[in-house]
Amino acid sequence: MYPPSLVVTFTKKSSVKMAKLTSLFVISLSFFCISEAVFEDQVGKFDWRQQYVGKTLFAHFESNTQSSKKMFVATDKNIFASFNSRTGDLLWRHVDKTGPEGSIDILLLHGQDALMVVGDGRLLRSWDTNIGGLNWEAVLDTGSFQAACFVAIQDTVKLVAVLKKAALSLHYLSNGHQKWVENLPDSDAVQYQAVYSGGEEEVYVLGVVPNSHLTIIAYSLEDGEIIKQRSVEASWLSSVESSCVVVGQGVLMCVDPATLALYTLPIQAEETPEFSQILLQSLDLEVSPGFQPVLVSSQPHPARSPLSEFFLQLGPDHHVLLQLNADGYTIAPLRDFQPAFLVSFATTGKKTVAAVMTPKNETACAINLFSVDSGRRLLDTTVLFPLELNGGKPHALYVHAFLKKDDSVGYRVLVQTQDHALTFIQQPGRVVWTREEALADVVTMEMVDLPLTGTQAELEGEFGKKADGLFPMVLKRLSSQVTLLQAWLAHLWKLFYEARKPRGQVKNEVTIETLSRDEFNLQKMMVMVTASGKLFGIDSKSGSILWKHYLENVQPNAAFKLIVQRTTAHFPHPPQCTLLIKDKDTGLATLHVFNPIFGRKSHIALPALPRPILQSLLLPVIDQDYAKVLLLVDDQYKVTAFPSTKNVLQQLQEMASSIFFYLIRSDQGNLSGFRLRKDLSTERIWEVVLPTEVQKIVAVKGKRPNEHVHSQGRVMGDRSVLYKYLNPNLLAVVTESTDTHPERAFVGVFLVDGVTGRIIHEAVQRKARGPVHFVHSENWVVYEYWNTKSRRNEFSVLELFEGTELYNSTVFSSLDRPHLPQVLQQTYIFPSPITTMEATLTEKGITSRHLLVGLPSGAILSLPKMFLDPRRPEVVTEHSREENLIPYAPEMPIRTEWFINYNQTVARVKGIYTAPSGLESTCLVVAYGLDIYQTRVYPSKQFDVLKDDYDYVLISSVLFALFFATMISKRLAQVKLLNRAWR
Amino acid sequence: MSDRIVDGVRKHTPSILLFFDESPFSLLWLWLSTEKRKQIKSEKIGIILYIAMASPGGQGGGAVSTRGAGARRMKWALELSLGNARGRGDRQSNQGDVMYPIGYSDKPVPDTSIQETDKNLVEKRCWDVALGPLKQIPMNLFIMYMSGNTISIFPIMMVCMMAWRPIQALMSMSATFKLLENSNQQWLQGLVYSVGNLLGSALAIYKCQSMGLLPTHSSDWLAFIEPPQRMEIMGGGMVL
Repeated sequence: MYPPSLVVTFTKKSSVKMAKLTSLFVISLSFFCISEAVFEDQVGKFDWRQQYVGKTLFAHFESNTQSSKKMFVATDKNIFASFNSRTGDLLWRHVDKTGPEGSIDILLLHGQDALMVVGDGRLLRSWDTNIGGLNWEAVLDTGSFQAACFVAIQDTVKLVAVLKKAALSLHYLSNGHQKWVENLPDSDAVQYQAVYSGGEEEVYVLGVVPNSHLTIIAYSLEDGEIIKQRSVEASWLSSVESSCVVVGQGVLMCVDPATLALYTLPIQAEETPEFSQILLQSLDLEVSPGFQPVLVSSQPHPARSPLSEFFLQLGPDHHVLLQLNADGYTIAPLRDFQPAFLVSFATTGKKTVAAVMTPKNETACAINLFSVDSGRRLLDTTVLFPLELNGGKPHALYVHAFLKKDDSVGYRVLVQTQDHALTFIQQPGRVVWTREEALADVVTMEMVDLPLTGTQAELEGEFGKKADGLFPMVLKRLSSQVTLLQAWLAHLWKLFYEARKPRGQVKNEVTIETLSRDEFNLQKMMVMVTASGKLFGIDSKSGSILWKHYLENVQPNAAFKLIVQRTTAHFPHPPQCTLLIKDKDTGLATLHVFNPIFGRKSHIALPALPRPILQSLLLPVIDQDYAKVLLLVDDQYKVTAFPSTKNVLQQLQEMASSIFFYLIRSDQGNLSGFRLRKDLSTERIWEVVLPTEVQKIVAVKGKRPNEHVHSQGRVMGDRSVLYKYLNPNLLAVVTESTDTHPERAFVGVFLVDGVTGRIIHEAVQRKARGPVHFVHSENWVVYEYWNTKSRRNEFSVLELFEGTELYNSTVFSSLDRPHLPQVLQQTYIFPSPITTMEATLTEKGITSRHLLVGLPSGAILSLPKMFLDPRRPEVVTEHSREENLIPYAPEMPIRTEWFINYNQTVARVKGIYTAPSGLESTCLVVAYGLDIYQTRVYPSKQFDVLKDDYDYVLISSVLFALFFATMISKRLAQVKLLNRAWR
Repeated sequence: MSDRIVDGVRKHTPSILLFFDESPFSLLWLWLSTEKRKQIKSEKIGIILYIAMASPGGQGGGAVSTRGAGARRMKWALELSLGNARGRGDRQSNQGDVMYPIGYSDKPVPDTSIQETDKNLVEKRCWDVALGPLKQIPMNLFIMYMSGNTISIFPIMMVCMMAWRPIQALMSMSATFKLLENSNQQWLQGLVYSVGNLLGSALAIYKCQSMGLLPTHSSDWLAFIEPPQRMEIMGGGMVL
């Protein structure tokens, strides 16, 4: 809150015109609103950003020389990016549209060009890999994408062939122009799945009629004419894509899991009308039960035919290197790899090698290179890949092979693990870098205070213990003071020691062991839960990952809820977080209880949860170990308590009548409230049904439990108080109409009391549609929607007041509230769509609030709540000036200095998390989406700390100078007095 | 008691209002003109000088002490005769570095007024003392009017001064009574004196009230209202 004296400087006597007053007011206001932005030298001081790309789908290395540094990835987040393979930093990144519209179907790399098919065959793009610029983009005909490959004419790659469901098209590599496009014959019945070019004058398309026959069509490169077309009987074949590869001189190799046999067929030759069968048994090979065998082949250069060697995977950890003999019918096994997790081919120059990853021991895997021709192991090519204890298993292997100076093959390897992490390893076995790409999809997060240091904890412990006599307590106090003094001296010594070093060298390596709370609790532990099921503990100050824990067996669509059950405040009990993971398919939930500081799983007896869990509820009730009690509600509305000690159950029985919970079923449009019974069953006490034919419930938000409201009311211009309606049980329920016609669409906001089910207020915004973003805090709800009539984004704010008198100032009970609150509402035009919204949060709630708005541009706007105040007057009066109310203006400004992340844009902001710090002025902010950005905001500026550029030297030198001047002049005055006395 | 106001008015520059008071509470007050004052930033106020010279002894003490000092009274006289220059030179050599202003005469000018030693004069003096606080009120009102109702450092200092002076005077009532003990109407004078001081403090309180410094509104107690205690515990959400 700004001191009123500074803003309101008008007196009654001054008879200045109203317009002048208003302008003055706005000027004085803008004076307080500026200087939000950071200064140039503060960049990166309190904030950091980490950029991610997501789960890698395709990865390629630039070229096969030892000095090349670039690698390219295309990911499931529709991102095409380039890494510096020495450091793992992003060189450039292209973020495409989300969803299927921007999905990357395939990434092909040839020389300087990266070819990409985007959006299920919608676009064909070519990128310059040096600078990441777009060479060209071609719009493809409709039809779902099947396959693509490079086509070479006379040993130079000039074309790219794209196979769609019903058409084949050829494009020039240089400019993207279409050479020709041909419709595929009989495309309704035949599923065309593969396209192959071996450097000849033809391009072959392979299609299959499942369990009937295979169709091979050869097109002329020149004009797209069908040269030949034939079909081969293959009743066992269901998919070319999953079970066939081309090896050797154009031989189609297929594997049939049913008959356990390999089938070969020369594609070009006309004389062989059918597949020749080779039983795996005849090669002494055996497939693991229930495993679908997979073939892996390699075509090192598009102008030449593929290698005649190929891998056959027979089990989860069993691979065989096979060779197709020159006759095209017989197969010779080269080497059996068991156990072997992953295999990959890599080519450099004329040499092609196979990299095989085999488990070595519990903590590491070994990667070796093998000569493809002979299957012999190459010497000195072993690389160790460290397996983390709580990490994912290796998932894919990308090998960058190159020729060393002595003509031997060297390589670096990129290993992708199941938890989406990328690890780049150099040959002696050194991990060059690791990227935790799971962080590109953070689902939920919490910030946990760091523990106190040992000495601090000791002091805390002293107060916690029972008194054992006066004298021992004095002794104990003295000893702890001495230890504190020691720690302080050590700290001073460290400061002095480090001050002598040049600035760049002083780098405080943050490790889990050295973690401790700082003076103002500005450094916290960020616990992040990602969609892949990997948990991270990140230091909020530096952004370094301090621990990670991968939860296996987490379904991709699982719902997560992270709960802090015990904070760090209860030494010696460790802090405790609980992650509720609900499997969407079965509805069953599991709990993962861990220590948020160290990431270790706690060995606590977990409750058995045999029934699907609907919701959870964290009570402020604590057990004897200071852990808050978590209630889990199952589909029979029975409640399970965790922890469920006797003490807790007794407390629950006593409090049962005052524990309520609500459940919202969006699919049924049903809101219902329940009350806990003493036997931990529940009774339904209210129900509100919003008919699903008309509108559907999109979201619901209560108030944040850790929110403090300092001021219970607002001071009016006449110095009376308008008391806020601070109902802790209030829920804001947002609905959207099912009718999306611009004239009839609407957005509804219902304020419902969660205990009684009473609808406190309903606001329906006609001619509006979602997505609705909203914040519910204190006594206000701010929501944003799209106005279909005026075609613009609008912010609307609802504020609830109790009136000028409090009904009951000591206790708040929803059951005893006879009067409805007064509701004020105002709406503003916002010049940009938004992606997410959150309000700042401070320790005591004294600091004024700001809204943090994530924009699609990646900027995060810190919008003062002052601008979203339904009491903003249309006509300025004496009273409204006294209250510092800004006159109403329909347009909401976006000032660039309000962007808290200056040029550090956060791609695809999904959520913003705010947490209070130990300083009342400071709120910690984490924006997550594709990137993670952490910073601090000061909504009322830093009123409780000295400025960053405070001139300590000047002030202290002036003080000392004055002190000495006083001393000297005192002495001089004495001398003078003495002299005068003598005269 | 005489109030002189020197007003150096010049547009767009701070005009200086000099309140000069011969009473012990004499203050030299540099003040910006009211129009300009509206735009003062609190940080910049430091340039304004505020000097209050208050001699101990409270209200009207100056006048009394003059009387108590005895008979020797001096009056300024202009000596315009030319023959004085030499004499002044003599004095300078005699008394060192004491400089006398132009027109100062070494010889005392005979006091031609009638020396009244009768009771009336004492009575008059005592009434002067007793009415002192009341006489201050118009000036205080004027200052109050001039300083406006904004809350900034000057009005606050003013109000403090206005409130503190009567309290100080009331606390040193016994000393004042000692001064008045020669008077016949000692009790009446004492009463008038205290009423004047009380009025002065009432004025200060009124000023506080109009500035909004008195906690008389409900908004002044807002910060002390504790958040109400929750009776119910509620939670839940969309079905996961």
